[in-house]
Amino acid sequence: MTATFGSLHEGDELTPLDVRPDLAQIIRFCGLSWVFPPFFYDVDAARAQGMPGTLVPGPFKLGLICRAVEEWLGDAGFVVTVRAAHRRPDITGRPITIAGRVARVFEENGRRRADLELVIINQDREPSGRGFATVEFTS
Amino acid sequence: MPEESLLTPELRAFVGKSTTPVPVQVTAQAVRRAMDVFYGHHRRTIAPGDPVPGVVIAALVPDSDDPLDFPSPLPNGILISDEWQFERPLRLGEELQAQNTIADVSERFGGQFGYSIYTRFEMLLRDDTGAIVARSGRTMMNYDARNARGGGEG
Repeated sequence: MTATFGSLHEGDELTPLDVRPDLAQIIRFCGLSWVFPPFFYDVDAARAQGMPGTLVPGPFKLGLICRAVEEWLGDAGFVVTVRAAHRRPDITGRPITIAGRVARVFEENGRRRADLELVIINQDREPSGRGFATVEFTS
Repeated sequence: MPEESLLTPELRAFVGKSTTPVPVQVTAQAVRRAMDVFYGHHRRTIAPGDPVPGVVIAALVPDSDDPLDFPSPLPNGILISDEWQFERPLRLGEELQAQNTIADVSERFGGQFGYSIYTRFEMLLRDDTGAIVARSGRTMMNYDARNARGGGEG
């Protein structure tokens, strides 16, 4: 179900986005954004950094947060700001969930907006990152 | 652990350093690839001039010949946060000018990682009037792992 400004309430929850980023997807991300730290795709390089496997890039997780917001928003508007604060590494191949809720609904200079609070939850049910987004409704 | 700042006037002078603006275009290929990476599909049909998903900004990589080489005096680095901001949605087919800049440099004494330096990088996307359409920012923290108490992010 996508959002509409008129029916929005603080505390409304976004549909959680469950994903399991795999190595092929991460390699495609590296190519897309042209960033190639070896610990994103080379397990030996990741283990040399003390990690149990290759890391899910932070900007990739930002993109997943953006996707979760855009899927919830549908064609009702656009993302004004999306932010991710990274707290723990996520390991490629392990499941993560992007969850979120509406934190504030407001109008500002005639613009109908909402602030969203989001969290990235790892398979141990720990938050690996926090997200924040502002969306603007255009329909 | 340093008891005095390592942010010399020479390092602070990097704040505001920018690359030469270069054109980037919101192509159908960029949209397809970004959708494939983040959504796992590219089934949406988008006409020229129509808004594209925000994740497409990840595909707009300026091919600049003058990279920003911030010479951190600390050996280890991790990404602390990143963000995208849009004044309006990007539109399929439009050409924008992309410019990378060092927006801020700061430092912190103590904490989990010991003395650390925070550098905020931004990529600004401007339209043909010079107005900022979108920006992509990230904050890197540089530290010395010998002084850290564990933890971190990739």
